[in-house]
Amino acid sequence: MVKYGIKDQKSIEKIAMGLCDTILTDLTQGKRPRLQATKSSLDNAIYSPTLGYLTPGPKKTITELNVASVKKMSRAIFVLDILLKNIKTGAVNTKRELYYICKGLLKQNPELKPLDFEDQPESDGIIDFLCEIIECYREELNCYANDRGGQTYSKCLIVTETLPNGKKAKIDLSKLGTSPFTPKNRPQNLALTASKKIEFCLVVESEGTANTLVSNGMTERYDCIVVGAQGVPSNSVRAWVKRIQEQVDVPIYFFGDLDAYTLQNIFRTLKAGSAASIIRNADFSAPEVRFLGVLPEDVKKYDLFSYDVKSNDPSEMRSLKKAQDALENDPFFKSQRNRPLAKILEWLIENKKRCEQQAFFSVDANDPLALEKILIKKIREGSYI
Amino acid sequence: MTKNKANEKIVANSTAEYFAKNLQQVGFSSPIKAVLTTVKEAMDNALDACEEHGILPNIRVDIKKLGLGSLKNTDRISIKVLDNGPGIEEKYVPMVFGQYLASSKFGQGRPSRGQQGIGISAATTWALQTSAIGAKVTTKRENERKALRCVVVTDLKKNEGILKDKEKINWENPHGTEVEFIIDGKIQMNGEGGLLTYLRGTILLNPHMTLTYHLTEMEPVTVERVIDEVPEIPKATPPHPHTMKLGEFLSYARLFSSHKNAEWLCKGFSRVSPNIAATLFKNSGLPKTLLDKKVNTLTSDQLKKLFQTIQDSEFQAPSTKSVMSLGEKALSLSVMRLGKVDYFSVVTRKPAICDFKPVQVEVAIARLFEKKSDGEDSSVQILRFANRVPLQFDKASCAIVKSISSVNWKSYSIKQTKGNLPSGPYIIAVSVVSPFLKFKNASKETIDATDELVTEIRKALMKAGQSLSRHIKKEAKTQELENKIKHIEKFGPVLVNTLCRILGASEAKKKKAEEGIEKILGRDNLKTRQQLDEVEERLNVHLASRKDQFDSFIKEDEELQARQEALLRAEEEILGTRYNDDETSSKKEFSRKKKSSKKNKSRL
Repeated sequence: MVKYGIKDQKSIEKIAMGLCDTILTDLTQGKRPRLQATKSSLDNAIYSPTLGYLTPGPKKTITELNVASVKKMSRAIFVLDILLKNIKTGAVNTKRELYYICKGLLKQNPELKPLDFEDQPESDGIIDFLCEIIECYREELNCYANDRGGQTYSKCLIVTETLPNGKKAKIDLSKLGTSPFTPKNRPQNLALTASKKIEFCLVVESEGTANTLVSNGMTERYDCIVVGAQGVPSNSVRAWVKRIQEQVDVPIYFFGDLDAYTLQNIFRTLKAGSAASIIRNADFSAPEVRFLGVLPEDVKKYDLFSYDVKSNDPSEMRSLKKAQDALENDPFFKSQRNRPLAKILEWLIENKKRCEQQAFFSVDANDPLALEKILIKKIREGSYI
Repeated sequence: MTKNKANEKIVANSTAEYFAKNLQQVGFSSPIKAVLTTVKEAMDNALDACEEHGILPNIRVDIKKLGLGSLKNTDRISIKVLDNGPGIEEKYVPMVFGQYLASSKFGQGRPSRGQQGIGISAATTWALQTSAIGAKVTTKRENERKALRCVVVTDLKKNEGILKDKEKINWENPHGTEVEFIIDGKIQMNGEGGLLTYLRGTILLNPHMTLTYHLTEMEPVTVERVIDEVPEIPKATPPHPHTMKLGEFLSYARLFSSHKNAEWLCKGFSRVSPNIAATLFKNSGLPKTLLDKKVNTLTSDQLKKLFQTIQDSEFQAPSTKSVMSLGEKALSLSVMRLGKVDYFSVVTRKPAICDFKPVQVEVAIARLFEKKSDGEDSSVQILRFANRVPLQFDKASCAIVKSISSVNWKSYSIKQTKGNLPSGPYIIAVSVVSPFLKFKNASKETIDATDELVTEIRKALMKAGQSLSRHIKKEAKTQELENKIKHIEKFGPVLVNTLCRILGASEAKKKKAEEGIEKILGRDNLKTRQQLDEVEERLNVHLASRKDQFDSFIKEDEELQARQEALLRAEEEILGTRYNDDETSSKKEFSRKKKSSKKNKSRL
């Protein structure tokens, strides 16, 4: 049985080879090979308040070899062959590159022509299928994504990266000037240390706002870490924040818009992971992250500009509908532990309002440090969830 | 009104003058239509003449381009139609080809092709207007030694045909008529106004016809008849009691004013026997004694009561004899002449009343071989027929097209976007026959789409679709099986080879795995093969039942005729010998039926 959590590449290779061996043995015995994977969906997600993230339930998806699935299975084994070679040689590729590698190999060998991919989504689907069966991350198969977000600013954080050749690279973020440090590919390979006691870590939904806070001197005035999430957190942002939680003893706060989308798609993913990545949430969620705002009470307290959810905007209406659905079906929001967060969703549904994080700039329009002051005040007064 | 205008004379124009000025109303609205309408009118006349005289038609159509036409963008075209009909007596030749509204079939309550006697005279007028040459006619009757050759022109003022250049000639044909029109027009072969489309339709609906056509530079083509039997000409039957509105009913009563009420009801309407007439009187609260009184003794109120009782009463469906049909067997044989037909289904509905008129609908759907690959996405080819005459223009508002579009063809595995015509390499032929068909225009190109008629056509189409879907399902299953086999052949070895390469497996293990995958995936095919067998069996059962049905048609026909004969005898006994003319015609009818029944037996 495959265990969840980061695997070393030796074990990935072993699992993959074992998988091939099982299929071949089944075939020699005239048995239909059955590939089993964890069902990655919300109806198979369990939220444990103790663990703090979404974990998989008992549901499995089974792919059995038959006339309909023989093409998919043949393609999967073909792509697996390429990925195993990459693991052996240490080569890495993006999904796009792998698509062209497949095309090249298929062109060279006419026997393999039936496996040809029409476009990239076809080969992407096979890579995702392999990740589900082996229960690993694509990065563990040396298939990297060009992940965005995670620009990090701090005057007291030191990152040590172990390079593929075993050498160590040390990055002192205080020496980077105004440039941020951006974690890429596998933040799990990074070790973090603090040069002095860090007061807090602030993850800002808008990369622009994070940059404004830093440019106005927040990291100079406070011993803190500022991270720009750049919307829905990518795998690298999620793993990076998890790394900060684990390796630097620091409270982490998330600051973003007050709307259903932010709460559900951005904050929940950062804090407890997502249903799609259910087997990887242990490494891709930071359960200790707190929601600093914008809170419903902030709207009243600071008299923030807010907008009515437009009934003629399908995406905004859909978001509210999804919020209602989350209250009924999402184990994270259903959990008693996250009741205060669920209450925000209820408030949003009831009031049909949304308020952007930048609205704080309206509080004292003449003071460029107004947002910083409010955030520090909120952190110190415990105005977060 | 000014004084001058008030003094202007009101003049009555002749019918011929009216049509000569409005030829577009009778199918001569464009050069393409002119050619098609001329061919159509000549062929309709030829077919009607042959059928009425019990002759199996041999028709030859020759169309030649003679040069440029006098009208802009037209050609000078010769259209010649030769038949082996009975020939025309000399005195009738100018009436047939040159006089408007001279017809032997007008208002007879029979679904003959021609009705009013306008079409062929209009063709003569068009020829005169565009080439200044009338209709060149050659005709010979069986007992004549020499044929009459002449040119017919129309005196538009008097609406009279005039014979010119008359001569007696030796003619190789024992009897028949040949007519040639030299007109300005444009030849189109395929599509809505295409000659081949028209001929294809005429061939389908006339299985008893042998047709030779020689169109411009094309090689002459002969399509042989598939049945050796002249269709029974429908007897002119009186109207069904449900076909009249109150006003019509009262006027109709006046026509029979000197007849006794019982006679009027029994002879003036179909499906009314003396017993039924008595019941109608009883239910109307009219004294029985009135039955033997004359119609003019009934008061207006009594007639209205009688009319209402008729509306509330149920009568036997209109006679099949008043709305002739080809029958499923003849249609099946004829469908095969449309080209390389993969498979087909035919449906002949029982006659029904639509909008107070007896109507019979027949449908043939054929899937063609030659268009199988390239015709998947184009609309099906539609052949529309009204009283066995192909309709080619203004299809959008026609009852037939509306009916076809309203059927959900997807449920019969035929492609269709909602509310549109289905697509694929199919021919859908729909024939509507009725002595009183309602057209939308004088050129008889569009059948009026009333709800009842559309429903009736839909029913026939749906039945034909159900029958056809059995073939299509079998085809789909065969295709599925082929695809699965191909799929396994493609991917099985690739899967095994890649696995063996990754694991470095031995050749023996590889061979064993190859055998294993073949076995596993072969099991899937077995399931599809079983499904195919089931579908095939269902189709065979269906085809066998259709064969039995064809065989039983003849038997049913004989039984029906015997029943009708008995019924008529009973009527004659009751009504005495007052209707001698009808009796004679009935006897003639019986003898013809007997003859046809014998032919049916020999055919089997």
